[in-house]
Amino acid sequence: MEILAFSILLLPLLSSLVTLFFLRKHGNVAALLSVATAGGILVFASYLIFSNGGEDFAWDANWLTLSNWELRFGFLIDGPARLLLFVVAFVGLLIHIFSLGYMEDDTAKSRYFGGLSIFMFSMLGITLADNLIMIFVFWELVGFSSYLLISHYFTTEEAANASKKAFIVNRIGDFGFLIGIVLTYWIFGTVNLKELSDLASFDPSLTSTALCLALACGFIGKSAQFPLHVWLPDAMAGPTPVSALIHAATMVAAGIYLLVRIDFLFTDQALSLLGLAGSGMGLYAGFCALVQRDIKKILAYSTLSQLGYMTAAFGLGMPGIAMFHLMTHAFFKALMFLGSGSVIHACHHEQDIFNYGGLRKKMPITALTFLIGVLAISGVNFLSGYFSKDAILLGAYNSNMPVFVLLYAGAILTALYMFRLYFITFEGEARGKYAKQAHESASLMTAPLIILALLSVIGGYHGLYPFSLIGSSLSDLELVAKMPNHLWMIVLGTFAWVSGCIAAKLLYSKVDQLDPLETKAPAFYRLCSSKLYFDEVYAVYVKRVQDPWARFLEVLELLFVSGLMVRGSAGLAALFALLAKTFYVGRIHAYAFWFILGTLGFLAYASGLFGN
Amino acid sequence: METITPHHFVGLGGVLFAIGFLGVVIRRNLLLVLMSLELMLNGVNVALVAFSRTSLNLDGSLFVFFIMTVAASEVAVGLALLVALYKKRASVFSEDMSLLSN
Amino acid sequence: MNIVDLLFYFFATLTVGGAVLMVFSKHPVPAALFMITSLVGVAALFVLLEAFFLAILQVLVYAGAVMVLFLFIIMLLDVGPEGGKASRIKVVSGLAGSVAAGLLVILVLNFVLQTGFESNRQIWPAIDESSMVTGQNLVFSTAVKNFGFGLFTKYMLPLQVSGFLLLAAMVGVIILSKKSVAEES
Repeated sequence: MEILAFSILLLPLLSSLVTLFFLRKHGNVAALLSVATAGGILVFASYLIFSNGGEDFAWDANWLTLSNWELRFGFLIDGPARLLLFVVAFVGLLIHIFSLGYMEDDTAKSRYFGGLSIFMFSMLGITLADNLIMIFVFWELVGFSSYLLISHYFTTEEAANASKKAFIVNRIGDFGFLIGIVLTYWIFGTVNLKELSDLASFDPSLTSTALCLALACGFIGKSAQFPLHVWLPDAMAGPTPVSALIHAATMVAAGIYLLVRIDFLFTDQALSLLGLAGSGMGLYAGFCALVQRDIKKILAYSTLSQLGYMTAAFGLGMPGIAMFHLMTHAFFKALMFLGSGSVIHACHHEQDIFNYGGLRKKMPITALTFLIGVLAISGVNFLSGYFSKDAILLGAYNSNMPVFVLLYAGAILTALYMFRLYFITFEGEARGKYAKQAHESASLMTAPLIILALLSVIGGYHGLYPFSLIGSSLSDLELVAKMPNHLWMIVLGTFAWVSGCIAAKLLYSKVDQLDPLETKAPAFYRLCSSKLYFDEVYAVYVKRVQDPWARFLEVLELLFVSGLMVRGSAGLAALFALLAKTFYVGRIHAYAFWFILGTLGFLAYASGLFGN
Repeated sequence: METITPHHFVGLGGVLFAIGFLGVVIRRNLLLVLMSLELMLNGVNVALVAFSRTSLNLDGSLFVFFIMTVAASEVAVGLALLVALYKKRASVFSEDMSLLSN
Repeated sequence: MNIVDLLFYFFATLTVGGAVLMVFSKHPVPAALFMITSLVGVAALFVLLEAFFLAILQVLVYAGAVMVLFLFIIMLLDVGPEGGKASRIKVVSGLAGSVAAGLLVILVLNFVLQTGFESNRQIWPAIDESSMVTGQNLVFSTAVKNFGFGLFTKYMLPLQVSGFLLLAAMVGVIILSKKSVAEES
């Protein structure tokens, strides 16, 4: 088994290394290698998931020993790990295949596909890791590969800045995560997840709110939750398949996965805080998405909102539901991102939805699959999103009313902005000149769309999944199934998406270059497009507080470290050298003379001239 | 007048050593520098034998034997170096061997 | 003043005089000859100290082999007297050297006069063969046999090392001479 896990982990690493060393000039070969690697991962992962019938599997070995502290390298494959492994491998493969079509004309294919392989490596590392330090290592690696892939079009300033922003914002979260890991080790004496789980259930008083909030910092950075959410919309500067894979389906979901893995550490206070923060994020991101013009940014805010739902589910004490929603969300969000990729590809990288329009007739497959995605995320009855999202809503309704209100408002907004996106992009008349010439993408790109659309339709029926995949979520799903108010919830849920759809139809069925909301409710529009001024506040903070502080430190450094200590010690040495240089006259006689003077000194000392 | 004591021999050795050192410092001819070095070694030899004789211990004399061995090989190598240098520089004077001085 | 004293003063004068003349003679050939005088004087002093074997070695190795080698090289290179401005003994180095040498002499004499040897001990004449000769306690003796015994017992390792030193010197000299030949061709 560990051989299998190792091959899953090392296959993409090998692929990226081969690409790095041998295939930099052979983009097509690198692309095929990367896709083949993704296929291999899926095969191995399936084998690993299904081979021992849902039994948990743990293995570890010594990695590093520092005196009496040792770092272990191991795999822990339990329910959530199997689920995420499946999502990463499966969606990853589809997105690799899609990339073949999408990146066909790109000049730096090998860099792109090498980056994808590194990402797969690090993401699988997070999935399989059995201790917090190993998770942290791979956590940083996904941050790195995300940086690499966001800045794929590094010649544009937008992409370069976005990659830096993503990296730096993630560092802030990771710092908290690191502190959390250190604290965990301090308190528990171990970072192994299994041992931690045993210890925490043995003595619940060991856990504390501060500890789990520090660990949750990692989640907040990676999953782009409040207040570190600012990087995700900007990260859309990367290629669209990357946005689908990293910034929708897998990497940002890794934050949720981390929470689920360490859920035994969380106290009730921390849970309720997370629940409130997550539902607030769901609503806030919905408002932001409502007024965006860039197709990918709408989807990015939608991702933020859905991540908020997962967080809320976790905060309500239903990690299984969070994982379940993670999976269905991976399906329909990857579907929509790839759909938007198909549209962007067809429209020569035009991303403003008001320049699209009428694409349904020109790109029927993309439009249909995208519509399925929209229906699924809006929670249309009996599609995948309905099951997972309404499970969260029902759980909230029965346990925490404020969270429910926020989430329910978010659900209406979700339907509204998603249908807005659909209506403006695919219905009506073509507005931009590229939209007029658009045509359906190649089958290499539509095939993943169709598969994902199928999964978005049926992915909500948990009975369809084998036990080894869904096992960890079953208990939470049953818990929700036994809750009261089911009928009421169906009515509410249906009302949410129907009202959202109708409002979108009324508002956006006939649009021109201008957002109708901008003319009808300018104040509201401005408030939403400002995104509550987070970026501006951060910019002011950096400029007013951080920059002067950095400058102050720089002065100190120049004065004391490089001035006094480095230059000073060098100067002292130079002074001695200057003195010693005078003895260096380049004639052998002089040296003999110094030598004998030294001897004389010894002799004088030996004969007691200096006093004994 | 007192008879000769070991002090006389040691003193004589010191004087020989000093003269040899003077030669090393003031002479520019490397051949003579080498010879002066031999003189310094001889001064030490005299002192060593005197000590050895006085303390009735053969170790000092044996050391003189080893010093002679080292001196002989030193002279051989030194002279070979000198010849090689002479072939390159056509000089045995130390002023011409100061490439390293600034 | 007995004959030993006379002989000592005579040979001491010979040695020091030869050394001084050697150091101050302009031409290398006379310098080498004065050096031989000095070395022979040292050999005679060895005889006075009853280190006969060393005296013979001194004459054979120094006055014989080494000085012949010197003379040979002087003549081979055809080194003339030091002349010209560049080769004149510089005032500074002469002064410094004299001061250092004078200090040296003063210090040695000071040392010699201050520290008392056990001068009242009867050491003359030396024993010529001793039954006290053992591996670790070598007693001064005129016999070459004792000398050899010391060399091959207590000083076995240094003897071997000095043999290697000679070998290394020989190889070095051969390499040095060969290299210069190769450069010329």
